[in-house]
Amino acid sequence: MSVDPVPSNSHGQIDEQISQLMQCKPLSEQEVRVLCEKAKEILMEESNVQPVKSPVTICGDIHGQFHDLAELFRIGGKCPDTNYLFMGDYVDRGYYSVETVTLLVALKVRYPQRITILRGNHESRQITQVYGFYDECLRKYGNANVWKIFTDLFDYFPLTALVESEIFCLHGGLSPSIETLDNIRNFDRVQEVPHEGPMCDLLWSDPDDRCGWGISPRGAGYTFGQDISEQFNHTNNLKLIARAHQLVMEGFNWGHEQKVVTIFSAPNYCYRCGNMASILEVDDCKGHTFIQFEPAPRRGEPDVTRRTPDYFL
Amino acid sequence: MDSPQLSPLSEENSEEPEAASAFSSIPARPPTQKSIEKYAPLSWSDYFDRAEDVCIPGSNDVFRVYTAGSEGPVVFCLHGGGYSGLSFALAASKIKEKARVTAMDLRGHGMTSTDNDSDLSIDTLCNDVVALMNAMYGDSPPAIVLVGHSMGGSVAVHVAAKKIPNVSGLIVVDVVEGTAMASLVHMQKILSSRMQHFKSIEKAIEWSVKGGSLRNVESARVSVPTTLKHNDSKKCYIHRTPLEETEQYWRGWYDGLSEVFLSCPVPKLLMLAGTDRLDKSLTIGQMQGKFQLVVVRNTGHAIQEDVPDEFASLVLNFISRNRIGPHGFEIPGLLRSKQNNLSKDSEAR
Repeated sequence: MSVDPVPSNSHGQIDEQISQLMQCKPLSEQEVRVLCEKAKEILMEESNVQPVKSPVTICGDIHGQFHDLAELFRIGGKCPDTNYLFMGDYVDRGYYSVETVTLLVALKVRYPQRITILRGNHESRQITQVYGFYDECLRKYGNANVWKIFTDLFDYFPLTALVESEIFCLHGGLSPSIETLDNIRNFDRVQEVPHEGPMCDLLWSDPDDRCGWGISPRGAGYTFGQDISEQFNHTNNLKLIARAHQLVMEGFNWGHEQKVVTIFSAPNYCYRCGNMASILEVDDCKGHTFIQFEPAPRRGEPDVTRRTPDYFL
Repeated sequence: MDSPQLSPLSEENSEEPEAASAFSSIPARPPTQKSIEKYAPLSWSDYFDRAEDVCIPGSNDVFRVYTAGSEGPVVFCLHGGGYSGLSFALAASKIKEKARVTAMDLRGHGMTSTDNDSDLSIDTLCNDVVALMNAMYGDSPPAIVLVGHSMGGSVAVHVAAKKIPNVSGLIVVDVVEGTAMASLVHMQKILSSRMQHFKSIEKAIEWSVKGGSLRNVESARVSVPTTLKHNDSKKCYIHRTPLEETEQYWRGWYDGLSEVFLSCPVPKLLMLAGTDRLDKSLTIGQMQGKFQLVVVRNTGHAIQEDVPDEFASLVLNFISRNRIGPHGFEIPGLLRSKQNNLSKDSEAR
């Protein structure tokens, strides 16, 4: 049994799905399948360095914290009234990865010019099997089909975006194998996030106080110093690198003398870290405003109970 | 389900020759040949190259040390409470292909003997490790990657925090302050509910596997025997280390551990058997990219015993990724120029 495609002159069905998702209610497996097919067609046309116009609001990690994403939309404005650029890590850790990523993909399908969704290191088959999205799909759908559909779609997410040719946005950071934006434009991104190499670095690297390249303590990607950021921005005529990937207690954090900014949009990460979240508004005149926010009030959310190991000596 | 087995049993009984009353003596019930074989102890020498008893100068303390391998940095292994150095035996036999392995029996454990076996305070355990390293390596220590499991993880963290120059990496196996502290209140109950007396070593090995504390029979066969001692008056085997008498030291092992771990100035890998074990400071630290976290699936608490091959390759990957050579960090630039010199030399010849 197939679901009739939405007539191109009507958005009734997808609008209904979006309002259902806004109430934190997941779609059916079949609806997810159809939605992701459409999303794939849109995403495969996007560039590895997707151009984005201002005004736009740039957001960092969400990690399945659906109620905080809803709070983000209350504070930043509804999509499509506000344009959004999300820099990855929609799934894992929080309890509502399914609802979170489905909503963002549905908004992408409904308003492809109004929202950009980049890939984070958690948008990967391997990572989601360890950190929760896979298990959540099994729990909510009784099988792994929805996990398979989404992780196949993740391969098409663009890796980076470029706001008004001057703010370079990506999840992690720079790579020693990449000097120019054209280097990025030229590689084939449709694949699982590799363990090493330029595509891995873009999703895993972190800025560091030490100059030059360093081995990342994370076990993937590199650390890069201010000299590297300055060189990269100079070579590519950039004003700023905006990235996510690292928890920062205030929700945003300037680095490398304002050449790099970290934005993190999951308040009280993992329901235990006590951090603020933030989003970055870039207005028509390319002015920057950070908006910080705290966790949304919670009703009936599961407690953070952890099974204590039975042997700890 | 029982009934099909019951009837043939009664038939067998009826065929047996005239037997004394079942109550007249304790029936001898030797383990079947099969179970003796299945749980037979294995020797350390199948996995390690050498066993040494190292005396600490100026004391009566003698530490048992197992070593393997001949090149690369030293992977220095510290076992958990109630285990022994042989907990790393299977992993050592893999790691030794590319690095050296040293696994000691900590104070009060295994074949080590000290003046005060009951002092398991974190300070004493750390001092023991440092004293043993000095006794073994003297003034020219190799690069060391400290690996500690559970209680040994705490010892590894505290030794690494001393900023000993040749300590080049830190690997902590399945222990996190928050969850460890939360579980301490249950420990006495858990310790008292475990089997205390074993008729044979095979029985103790069998219990460790069937009771679920170890999931790898081969590892249990080599690691369990040295965790036991024979009690001559009771004519049975008991645990070598009376953990229930060490409660006064437990908090000291874990209190403040996460912050000390994060402050250690070397590459760090935390290997856990489940994601839900991270506490607040480590969740923040991980999300800030301060250390590598690997969650190993399908394993119990003793990751190095349950999945030794995966454990060994994680350790070796950590060493090669962080470029830890036999004498410390290898800087690729220096290596390259060294190679260039070598090739020039050979050209000159």
